[in-house]
Amino acid sequence: MIRRWLIVSMAALSVGVATGRTEAQPQYPSKPVELVVGFAPGGGADVAGRLIAAYASKKWGTPVNVVNMPGASGITGALHVLRARPDGYTLMMDVHAVSSMLFAVQSDVPYKMDGKTSIALVTLDPVIYTVKQDSPWKSLQDVAAAAKANPKSFRYALGGIAGVASFSVSQFLYGAGVPVPETNRVVFTGGNPALTALAGGHVDFAGQQWSESAGLIGGKKIRGLAVVHPTRLPGLPDVPTAKEAGFPSLDVVGWQGLAGPPNLPAAIVQKWAALVEEASKDPAFLEQALKVSKVIAYKGPDAFWKFQEEELKKYLPLATQIGIRK
Amino acid sequence: METLGFLLHGFAQALTPTNLMFAFIGSVLGTLVGVLPGIGPTSGIAILLPLTSFLPPAPAIIMLAAIYYGAMYGGSTTAILVNIPGEVASVVTTLDGYQMARQGRAGPALAIAAISSFVAGTLGLVGLTFFAPPLADAALRIGPPEYFGLVILAFSVVVSLSGASLVKGLSAAALGALFALVGLDPMSGVRRFAFGTTTMLGGIDFIAVIIGLFAITEVLLSVEESARAVSLAALGKLMPRWDELRRCVGTMLRATGVGFFLGLLPGSTPGAISFIAYDLEKRVSKTPERFSRGAIEGVAAPEGANNATTSAGFVPLFALGIPATPALAVLLSGLMIYGLQPGPMLFEKQPQFVWTIIASMYVGNVMLLVLNLPLVGLWARLCRVPYAVMAPLILLFSVLGAFSVRNNFSDVGMALAFGVLGYLMVKLGYPTAPLVLALILTPMLENALRQSLSMAHGSPLIFFTRPIAVTLIGAGLALTAWSLLSRRAPQ
Repeated sequence: MIRRWLIVSMAALSVGVATGRTEAQPQYPSKPVELVVGFAPGGGADVAGRLIAAYASKKWGTPVNVVNMPGASGITGALHVLRARPDGYTLMMDVHAVSSMLFAVQSDVPYKMDGKTSIALVTLDPVIYTVKQDSPWKSLQDVAAAAKANPKSFRYALGGIAGVASFSVSQFLYGAGVPVPETNRVVFTGGNPALTALAGGHVDFAGQQWSESAGLIGGKKIRGLAVVHPTRLPGLPDVPTAKEAGFPSLDVVGWQGLAGPPNLPAAIVQKWAALVEEASKDPAFLEQALKVSKVIAYKGPDAFWKFQEEELKKYLPLATQIGIRK
Repeated sequence: METLGFLLHGFAQALTPTNLMFAFIGSVLGTLVGVLPGIGPTSGIAILLPLTSFLPPAPAIIMLAAIYYGAMYGGSTTAILVNIPGEVASVVTTLDGYQMARQGRAGPALAIAAISSFVAGTLGLVGLTFFAPPLADAALRIGPPEYFGLVILAFSVVVSLSGASLVKGLSAAALGALFALVGLDPMSGVRRFAFGTTTMLGGIDFIAVIIGLFAITEVLLSVEESARAVSLAALGKLMPRWDELRRCVGTMLRATGVGFFLGLLPGSTPGAISFIAYDLEKRVSKTPERFSRGAIEGVAAPEGANNATTSAGFVPLFALGIPATPALAVLLSGLMIYGLQPGPMLFEKQPQFVWTIIASMYVGNVMLLVLNLPLVGLWARLCRVPYAVMAPLILLFSVLGAFSVRNNFSDVGMALAFGVLGYLMVKLGYPTAPLVLALILTPMLENALRQSLSMAHGSPLIFFTRPIAVTLIGAGLALTAWSLLSRRAPQ
């Protein structure tokens, strides 16, 4: 309660500071909105959630509070929201890890992937394939050749067993014809520990998300070989796209969007989707997203759902191939 | 000398009224967050993160950082007064701190906690000031095999925490290890001991365990003993005696060393480090039998170590952009919102900013000392509050704390269950500290072992071919043997 009270009052304070202007009070939201993040503070879902929550709070003059409910790889938070009243006051950050990627890995998720109301895709977090700064490998081709020539001494890091990295690294290795079962897969408890181990030379290769990799790349401790995105990323002009690097079929990506309980009224969905669309064109919001290494990628409710279905189709066979589907 | 110049410039900035004010706000909030179990620095920083949209970078980061190190000051307060650690790092502080409170010496215990926090925190900052980039590079060389060695070393502490019966101590540790395994297997995603529930799938939350084992157990025991207060003894002197302070100088220096160097490693946690510092103190003490019976060094060591750890955590954060704890991860996202990408370039591109923050941390530590020492008298009086008033309050805060960790009611149930377990353990003479230590160390042990083996294509030889790993494992085994032998020697 204390924490809840603190959140509400701090958010109210921040809104108070932010909006000196007066605005006609819209019908929704008339009270604080709870935006549930199923992961701990500081992670990709949390950062994206806080960006859009701050934007909405400012815009509407009603606090949108991020509530972290970590546990069971995001399932705890998702269940909380999917079972909530569909009144628009309990929403969630819907991310790859509780949607398409989770359903590709688990056959018995305690909710249905379509048992929610999709609202909008907000951000993408592209994958960057990296090696240690002083690694002899200068391109993805070098990595593939080395892994094929000597699979038993090839070590790669994964920031979690069923996350983006599992898919991104496996997709690359299988695609390049590397005998994956012979290689050394070293699993860490998150993207940060995985890349720290890469920077220390304890593993040779990784494929984590941009937001996790940006710091160590900027600090010249690790080096980007390719980014999985249609264009090169701002701030990383020297890192080629996967297509440029000769691997056009690589397409694993992390993403963050908004969703609510089933049967969320269309007016509320539209209101949020319009807000995200507006944010995606706001230069200040774009700049903020860039600073936390996210690509703004607005998709409306239908397009967002379609995107998730495509993602699932993409990951299902891959999960089976890697042997992580349960 | 160039560094000193930068630091002086930093002080000039840190001492401006605005920055001073935000350091103060952060310190107060940090202390508060530290005092309340369940609400840790991670949520504290996360709650205030939206303010960064309105503040310029320096005051905002000054405040968020102050919450982080301030929490380490606050965590000891409830540990000493009511046997409830406010933070994981203060679990060890309960061992001697609470005993001191029961003997009517809450004042000196609280005072030494603040003084030791200040000394070690500040010395840690000196390390951060002068050696951050080279230390960070050295820390990178510590990989999974070295962490494995470190955990073996830390596990040797179980023996000396075991109290009268080694079997009971080891059983408690085994139980802790078992609880640590609940949830998803981190390497393969297999579910362990979840019994088909999503609640258990998330693992057993550490804070819930601590709230249960310490706070709720304490309430149950007090009800049974119909105790009237923690201590009815006269308040006595609030400050430690000179000879005690003198004795603690060495303790604080050793705690700084342990806390700072282990704190540089992004994979070690403050919880484990404070145990190691406590154990070291017990080993070098000429009168180890005083420990767990109200030895003042037993408070100074963990409290110093966890503050040195806090200072050290900023080394990999600033120099490499690697957060060592979840709270620092949130702070990192705060930095990034301002476009301040930590890493070697931060010192080159934004020297003014970095040095302002570092200088503000010296200032903040002084503030916390000044803030905490006068409070000692007030807090110490809490010991005399009748249990009839305290017990319901402790229960209330326990439930709130357990809930707020993950905003989840099942954690409250978990805390209550562990409260009953703790009660039974105390009644049957099983120590609870080994359980907590094993709960912290087991996931580290499992990860480090399996990561090391997968690095080496399954060959355990990796532990023998890396000099640092071999040394650490050897030291851990030697310490365990030493502890076992000294237990057998007649006391």
